[in-house]
Amino acid sequence: MSNDHDGSPLDLERILVRYLAEELLTRRQLLHRISVVGATVALAPIIAACGTSEASATPGVASPTSAPSGTAGEPTATPEPTPQPTPEGELFVYNWDAYIGEETQQKFQDKYGIKVTYDKFPDADTQLAKIRSDGKGAGYDITYPTSVDIPGLLRDGVIQALDLSLIPNARNLGPEWVNPGYDANNAHSMPYMWWTTGFAWDGDKIKDDLTDWTTLWDERFKGHMGMLDDIREVFAVAGFRLNLSPNTTSDGDLDAMLQLLEQQKPLLRKYTADDIGDLTSGQLWITHAWSGDWGQMLTDKPKTKYVVPESGAVRGSDTMVVLSGAPHPVAANLWIDFNLDAEISAGNSNTTYYMGPNAAALALINPDISGDPRINPAKATLDKLVELLELGPDLDKYTQRWNALKA
Amino acid sequence: MTAAAAERPPRRPIRERLAGLLFVAPGVGWLAVFFLLPLVIVLIFSFGTKDPAGHVSLSHLGFQNYLQATRQEYVPAFFNSLRYSAITTVLSIVIGYPIAYWISRYGGRRKILLLILVMLPFWTSYLIRTYAWMIILRDNGVLNSILQTVGLTSEPIAILNTDFAVVLGMTYGFLPFAILPLFVSIDRMDHNLVQAARDLYANGRQAFLHVTLPITMPGIVAAALLTFIPAIGDYVTPDLLGGAQTTTIAKIVQVVFTSGRDWPYGSALGFLLMVLTLAGTFMALRTLRRETLGGG
Amino acid sequence: MNRDRNPWLTGLAVLTYAFLFAPIVVLIVFSFNASRRNFVWLGFTTDWYPRLFANTQLLDALSVTLRVALIAVIGATVLGSLLGLGLARLRFRGSGATETLILLPMITPEIIMGISLLIFFGQLFRQNGSIGQIGIAHITFCISYVAVVVRARALSLDSRLEEAARDLGASAWGAFRYVTLPLIAPAVAAGAMLSFALSFDDLIVTSFNAGVGSTTLPIFIYSAIKFGVTPQINAISTIIVLVVAVALMIAWRLGAFRGEERRPVAEGG
Repeated sequence: MSNDHDGSPLDLERILVRYLAEELLTRRQLLHRISVVGATVALAPIIAACGTSEASATPGVASPTSAPSGTAGEPTATPEPTPQPTPEGELFVYNWDAYIGEETQQKFQDKYGIKVTYDKFPDADTQLAKIRSDGKGAGYDITYPTSVDIPGLLRDGVIQALDLSLIPNARNLGPEWVNPGYDANNAHSMPYMWWTTGFAWDGDKIKDDLTDWTTLWDERFKGHMGMLDDIREVFAVAGFRLNLSPNTTSDGDLDAMLQLLEQQKPLLRKYTADDIGDLTSGQLWITHAWSGDWGQMLTDKPKTKYVVPESGAVRGSDTMVVLSGAPHPVAANLWIDFNLDAEISAGNSNTTYYMGPNAAALALINPDISGDPRINPAKATLDKLVELLELGPDLDKYTQRWNALKA
Repeated sequence: MTAAAAERPPRRPIRERLAGLLFVAPGVGWLAVFFLLPLVIVLIFSFGTKDPAGHVSLSHLGFQNYLQATRQEYVPAFFNSLRYSAITTVLSIVIGYPIAYWISRYGGRRKILLLILVMLPFWTSYLIRTYAWMIILRDNGVLNSILQTVGLTSEPIAILNTDFAVVLGMTYGFLPFAILPLFVSIDRMDHNLVQAARDLYANGRQAFLHVTLPITMPGIVAAALLTFIPAIGDYVTPDLLGGAQTTTIAKIVQVVFTSGRDWPYGSALGFLLMVLTLAGTFMALRTLRRETLGGG
Repeated sequence: MNRDRNPWLTGLAVLTYAFLFAPIVVLIVFSFNASRRNFVWLGFTTDWYPRLFANTQLLDALSVTLRVALIAVIGATVLGSLLGLGLARLRFRGSGATETLILLPMITPEIIMGISLLIFFGQLFRQNGSIGQIGIAHITFCISYVAVVVRARALSLDSRLEEAARDLGASAWGAFRYVTLPLIAPAVAAGAMLSFALSFDDLIVTSFNAGVGSTTLPIFIYSAIKFGVTPQINAISTIIVLVVAVALMIAWRLGAFRGEERRPVAEGG
């Protein structure tokens, strides 16, 4: 599969898009494919890592918009099975803040000699607006969209196919991550981190053992609660309480959800963009939160508790993609491969408190993280979790009601 | 002050006119290219619609977005914006005037230095300053600690995430925008006039009301403009310092653009806001001019 | 001159300065906070300062921000002052429309201005954001502020002063340079300071016009909001304040800022 960006691969893209559209999986299918996460399937990670390191030796030699054409000097000289294209000297990455291992970037630069420019965005909306601004990624090579956004990005030609020959570490993926529903055969993305969304609370202030979403409507905690400032997540919670799908597009369903949320609003202190800060600073006693965020709350407030309600919760994943206008496609694919390396992936998890998709990395992840069922739930719980799916133009139904709720 | 009013000479030579045009040409030219032109593009968008793929479609131009924009649900947010901006403007001027006057009157040689001192906090990062206010105002923050130690309160009172915090934060942020034009206007006033008024048996208050205030009115007007207008568009401060009930219309516009990805609708909403602000400002200016004869 | 100091006024001034600097003091104190996040005080440490200097991303962002601010201040001050002066001093047809034009950028919600420039540069010039693009955007919204301030000052100047200078034999340019310019200088300086503050702190318009490698400090900090703004940011802000304060003191010692003598000119206002 080529990953260059002249005219020809567009047909391939169109074929892929049509395939995906037809294949558009059902949620059940996706959940069915999720088998034991964190199962002790130790695959051979290290060999793959060794294999790719030899290819890179010459930094900055290739032209900035090189396609992986055969390089001048090394077609058959080394014992490498395939001729490795020369990576470009730079890489432009666009990611969330604090969403990568502390040493990952430096190690990549050391290994390949590629200079990484690492820009950040505060929220998914900013990210999408940016990469869609010219339809090709606005000059960036790599970004980290949520899996929900992949079908849309693919359809609109914003991301390009991966060069899997440059990503041998893909074999480290746990079996449920291979060929996910939103991206057949991982042709366009590699999973990065996944999480659950529950709620966290200050164990000092609240001694009760909280278990369900109804807590967030409890009058006792009026003025001390927060919900995430995220349309889909908030509506999902309402959905779980009403036993409705968080991916519904029915007006009736959404109106019911809106009503429930309006009852909640007077009890809330805020819709927070910084759940970690608000809870650790004491502004909120209870907050809707992502699992990894809870992990970070523990650093400043060890008594924080977290629960993934049995009545239903969202799970999601972030992915790595190469943008279609990427000026450094070879380096981009190498970056993805690098992050799938067991050690690096574990490093990422250990810093961010999120679980990665890397089965081989499991042994290297801090057991506080991998062993905690709230960050890394058992299969039985996982099966009950729901992935948010892309809604296309129907998202407007949510946005309208969200604005009405907030105003 | 009547000099300005008398300044309507018919004997404006062509050369003066030309000079006038020459002065304003570069600024106007710049704004025309980099402001008006892009704005017109967005204005056209506001009459368009969003097609299913999420792109702007200009096939059905019409006022549908504007009609949609006047939804009843947005009214509270709109009034929030108005309220916060109005109070912020008044507070900024009320707080800004005395210090501008003090610097002008008693600053002596150090005037500019004192003025720069006013600006100094604003050369740090806005977000950090807002965070600092969050630290000060939060439930177990500096202010609450002080109140409790002094004995005025026994429990922390909720200051952060309320209207009060929002107005405080906004006033703080816009204070220099008020102080600078106020200073500029106050400074060029001849204080001998005030002295003269006192000699004529006016007391301090009368001297202020009838001499100082009218003369510095252009500065007050400038300060009001530079505060109120941008304040309407500020959604970050209410977002960070406010709570669930303090959403502003500016935030709604932002959500429509980003989460909703509905540029046509967002544009319409934004333009509506602009028109209302412009109309309100002109009306206010007109009343102000009427009440202070010859002012400005 | 009768200079009976009004103690109330001085008290108010002191309070106002306290108000202005309160968050700055907090900011500085918390730059020594031994917590990764800004909110809870967990102990004293000076670690953030050395770490700051190793944080190339943060330093790059600061450098970009300063460069953009320089462009913005120069461009906006020049264009805006000319605009304000022209409007105030010289009546011409269309001055009403021009006055409205000046107000428009201030009224325009930042998000609309940001998006309009994004589309303008993106679709028309195929630009994906750069320091230059941000600079242009900043000049555009700063011009109005400078123009309003300069205009307010110029309006209250007596144009007969310039005429008097001309009568005494000065050329048009000479009259401008030696009479008008010094009289509006404080307003121009005020406009420049406003522009700097506006540009330095701008987030919304900037984020629509920034591209790869042109991240400004506000964007950098705002992106960190979700995971916490570390005290490193406080550290850099503290350093900025200190540097400016020291520079000011040096400049003052060297005699700058002392030129503002009160001219006992009978200005007609």
